[in-house]
Amino acid sequence: MSQFQVVEVSSEVILAAAGGDVHAHEQIYITYRRVVYTLIRRLIARPAVADEILQDVFVEILRSIGSYAASGSFGGWVRAMTINKCLMHLRSPWHRNLLWIDAQEPEDAAHSLDAVAVQGETLASAGQDLERAMATLPALTRAVVWLHDVEGYTHGEIANLLKRTPSFSKSQLSRAHARLRDLLDSPDGSVPCIPVSTSC
Amino acid sequence: MHPRIDQLLSLRDGQPVDAATLEHAESCAVCAASLHRLTQRRHELQNLPPFDAPEIDYSLIRARAAKSAPAARKDGYQWSAVAAAIVAAVIAGFMAVDRDRDAPAVQVHHPASAPADVPALEESQEPALAQLVERSRELDQLLQNMPRRPEVQRVSFAGTVDRLEQRVQWLDMQLSSAPDVAADEALSRRMWRERVDLMDSLVAVRYAESLPRPAFAGEPPG
Repeated sequence: MSQFQVVEVSSEVILAAAGGDVHAHEQIYITYRRVVYTLIRRLIARPAVADEILQDVFVEILRSIGSYAASGSFGGWVRAMTINKCLMHLRSPWHRNLLWIDAQEPEDAAHSLDAVAVQGETLASAGQDLERAMATLPALTRAVVWLHDVEGYTHGEIANLLKRTPSFSKSQLSRAHARLRDLLDSPDGSVPCIPVSTSC
Repeated sequence: MHPRIDQLLSLRDGQPVDAATLEHAESCAVCAASLHRLTQRRHELQNLPPFDAPEIDYSLIRARAAKSAPAARKDGYQWSAVAAAIVAAVIAGFMAVDRDRDAPAVQVHHPASAPADVPALEESQEPALAQLVERSRELDQLLQNMPRRPEVQRVSFAGTVDRLEQRVQWLDMQLSSAPDVAADEALSRRMWRERVDLMDSLVAVRYAESLPRPAFAGEPPG
């Protein structure tokens, strides 16, 4: 289940924030920063980029909260904004340049794998393996898996977000699960040495 | 024959599958186990622990939000016209400089003449929303298939591309997240129309950027 369904702020706070109340703004930031950052990190592998996007998302929220029409859940609105910022990054020339740099510097891969492993040290073993396996997927594929399996988006909605077709989303999900199965369901239960993707 | 993984995923997610697949999955122990693993994997993904957000000085966010006025409030058509004017100027300049050069290796769309695989919208009538969405997708695809941008970019191109992309990104966000856009078809159509115009311009600029740089007097060829 999406963590955005768990976290919420009162409608009074949202109204106050829409009216420009700075304390309400800060309360929204404090309430949502963890779930927003977690979603960003699931879609964007590089922590430095994720930190920047976190700021961008909240800047956008503060700027746009006056236009929030309260017709849907506020968490859903924040989530949509977060996803859009991440996808903007994945589509941007900046991201493509990073991919090019990664391709030139293979040692980055080891660094990124270490980063995943360090993060994983605090996790249960199964979760750690899954984190590492997810990190091997290309950025767009990882986004499809996360949006579909965790955030509950349909293939049609994902297609709309990615400006692709529902078939594209379906095929990415299938490939991702096939890859995760190959990596995680080895007969002895151990995860093989994983060459991680450094794509954001 | 065992179902493919996409069929098992459809089963897992409660989407329609053909009767033979359903029948097989219900009676086959291997497929039942695969289906169980896919369900389990989704559960594991949903239960991955959250990341702790970095310590960010909140006043920075507030200051940025206060400083950056919502540029998006500009009228879309006005913005498109500015972009189109920039593009026209850039292309005219390059056509004049490169008149004698060979044709470029890649065929891309520019506003004056659309390629056969990306049919242009009828100017005389207002296109349907679905047409605009489809056209926008085609232009996205076209842009993705263009050659990589040069490593050394000219300031004029970089600035224009950056402004066009920023506006496209803002439109994308509004189109997928703003509730008033989803509810108002006229507004939605207007935004999609603007997106198509911007993508047209973006493709044109990228095309111009991909042309060989003109040689200057005294400069060695290549």
